Amino acid sequence: MPDDATRMNGAPAATPMHRGFGALVKLSWRSLFRQRRRTALLIAVVAYATLAILFFWGFMDGFLTSIFQGQARLVSAPVVITTSAHHQNPDPVHALPETAAFRQVALEHAAVRAVTPRLEMAGLLRSPYTSQGALLRGVDPEGERLLSDLPSVMGEGRYLEAPGEIVLGVDLAETLDVRVGERLAVDVSSLAGPTAVGLRVVGVIDSGIAIVDETTTLLHIDDARTLTGVTSATALSIDVAPGREAEVARALNERLPDEGRAYGILDQMGELATGLAAERITMIPIGLLFSLFAAIAVTSSLVVSVMERTREFGVMLSLGFDHRRLGLMVTLEAILGSLLGFAVGMILGYGLLVWMQQVNVLGPVFSTLYGDFLQGLALGTDIRATVRFEYTAYAAVTVALAALFAALTPARRVANLVPAEAMRASD
Amino acid sequence: MLQARPSTPAPRRLVSSLLVVLASALAAAQAVPDDADAILDAMVENLRGGGQTATLDMTVERDGTSTTYVLEMISDGTERSLTRVLAPPREAGQAFLVDGTDLFLYAPRLGRALRLPPSGRSDGFLGSDLSYDDLAGDEVRDDYVASVHERTDTQVVLSLVPREGAATPYGELRFTASVPDLAPLELTYFDQRDTPVKRLTLSDFDVLDDGRSVPTRFEVVDLTEGGGRTVATWRDATFGVTPPDACFTLQALERGCSW
Repeated sequence: MPDDATRMNGAPAATPMHRGFGALVKLSWRSLFRQRRRTALLIAVVAYATLAILFFWGFMDGFLTSIFQGQARLVSAPVVITTSAHHQNPDPVHALPETAAFRQVALEHAAVRAVTPRLEMAGLLRSPYTSQGALLRGVDPEGERLLSDLPSVMGEGRYLEAPGEIVLGVDLAETLDVRVGERLAVDVSSLAGPTAVGLRVVGVIDSGIAIVDETTTLLHIDDARTLTGVTSATALSIDVAPGREAEVARALNERLPDEGRAYGILDQMGELATGLAAERITMIPIGLLFSLFAAIAVTSSLVVSVMERTREFGVMLSLGFDHRRLGLMVTLEAILGSLLGFAVGMILGYGLLVWMQQVNVLGPVFSTLYGDFLQGLALGTDIRATVRFEYTAYAAVTVALAALFAALTPARRVANLVPAEAMRASD
Repeated sequence: MLQARPSTPAPRRLVSSLLVVLASALAAAQAVPDDADAILDAMVENLRGGGQTATLDMTVERDGTSTTYVLEMISDGTERSLTRVLAPPREAGQAFLVDGTDLFLYAPRLGRALRLPPSGRSDGFLGSDLSYDDLAGDEVRDDYVASVHERTDTQVVLSLVPREGAATPYGELRFTASVPDLAPLELTYFDQRDTPVKRLTLSDFDVLDDGRSVPTRFEVVDLTEGGGRTVATWRDATFGVTPPDACFTLQALERGCSW
C-alpha cells in the first residue's frame, strides 16, 4: 500500500507539511498528544477557567433571580396593574377607578395564572407600649394565597382569614411588643379622613428576610377600604411564571384601559432593579478577567512548548515547512487544546450548575456569611444557580483569547526561527 | 319662767344619730346610679368640667430631665378645645385645635396649620404623657363597655373593656371615682396581659355651682420601663363659660381667640 508520499499518480505526494488546512489540523492534533503532560496542563487551565466562568455567571444570575423572585413573591407581585400616578406616588388617592375591566384584560392573557386586588396605605400601628408607622396592605386572603409566598412563612398563629384581623412581620410585632391574639390600634388618614380601627393579631410572619419581617402588615381588604374610603383597590396583583413578568406586562399594556398600566417586577423595583442590573454589567470585566488569565496561562504554556520544540521546528522548516504554516500549526495547537479544555469545562461547569439549580447549596452558605449585608434585599435562604446557554459564549472568550495570544506570541516566535540555528538548539 | 327643757335621753340621741347617718348613706346611694354607663357619663362630665378657660402649668419629667410648659386652654366642655403654648419660648406659639375626631396643629415656624392623624388624640402632646383623650374622656365613653368592678361607700371602680373593633390598644381601663359626687380620682390603663401601663391620677377638685367636682390637677405616670411623668395643674380657671364657635376654627388656631 503506497504511503502518503507516493500515492498521487506516481508523483511525489505532498507531505503533511505541504498539504492543506485539514492536514495541518491533524498535525496540530497529533502534536497535542505527543506532549501529554503539557496538553493536560493546558486542558486543565482552560477547563478550570471555563468552569469558573460558568459558575460565576450561573451564580450571579441565580442570585439576582432569587432577589427578583423574593421581591415578587414576598414583597410585591410578579406583575401589578395600577395607575401611573400610584406607581409614582403610592397614595390611596391614586387608586384604580375600578377593578373589573382590568381584571378581565389580565385574565384573558394565557400566561396569567391569578389576579387579586390589593389596597395599600400608610398608617400608624399602636400597641400599649409604642407606636410605629407602616405601609399597610389590604388583601383578599384567598386570592393572595395564589401568588404570595407569605402564607407559607407563618411563624406563629395563622394567615389572615376575615375582617378584623391583622398579620405582622415578626420583627415588627417585636418592635410593637404585640403577640398573637392581642389587639392593635390602626390609624389611617386618607380619602375617608382620619380613621382608626382595632384589629386582632392572628399571625406573625417569620420569613427570615429582614425587609419582610420588619415591614409586613397585612389586613383584610374590607378593613382597608373602610379605613381609606377607597372602594376599589390601589393595584391588581398578577401571578405569572418566573421570568415572564416583563413580557406579560408589555402584552397587558397594549390592551389595558387608559387609566391603568402593568408593571413587571423590575419596573416595580425601580432603582433597586436598575442598580442590580448595573451590578451585573460591572461583573462582566471580572468574567473577562477569568478568560484573560486562562488565555495567558495557555499562551505561556505554548511559549514553553515552542522553546522546548525549537529543534523539532528547525527540522520541519528544513524539510520545507514554511514559517507561516508552522505559526499556524502552533496557533491551531492552542485552539485545539483550548477547545478540549473548553469541552471538559463545559461538561463540568454545566453539570455543576444543573446540580446547584436542583439543590439549594448556595442559600444557607450565603445567608450565614452575608445575611447582615443583604438585609435590605428580599433574599431568602433559597438561592439556586441559573442555567443559560449564553454562558457558553462568555466562556468561549477564553478560547478566542488563547488563539489570539498564541498567534501573537508563540506563533510569531516560530515564524522567526532560522532553520539552521533552530536545529542546533538543544532539546 | 322658762323651764329647762328636759334633755333627750342618751338612747334616743343614738337612734337619731344613726337615722341621720342612715339617711345620708341612703341619699348618697340614691345619688350614685346603678347603671355603669350612667356612672361613666357622670364621671366624664366631671372630668371635662364643662365650658372653661384656664391657664395650665404642665411639667414633663422624662429621662432625668424636666420641662415646664405654660398652656392657655379654651374648651366648650364637649368635643372642642383650643390650646396654645405660652412658654417656654422655644415652643411658644404652637397651638392645638381639637374638633371632634379632628386634631390640628399650628406650627408658627411653618406659619400654617397641619392636620394630625387620629392617633394624635391619644398620643401625649408636647412630648408629655398627657393626651387629649385624657382631658376629654371621649375615648373611654365611646370605645369601651363599662361595668362596675368594685363599689364601696366611698368609691366606685368601673371596668372598661374595649368594644370589638375599637381603635384602642389597651386590654382594660379601671376608672375610679369618689362616691357620691362621682368625681374622677384615677384612671389606670392595662395592657392585654393585665399589667398596668399608664395611670392618670386626678386631684385638687373645684366644686362648681351645679355640684360637680372638677379636678384641677392631672398626674399621668407612664408605668412602662423608662416611662415618664407629667403633672398638669389648672390655675386661673373659669368654669361654666360658653366660648363662641369662632374659638374653634382654623383661624382661631392661627390667630388666637378672645371674647
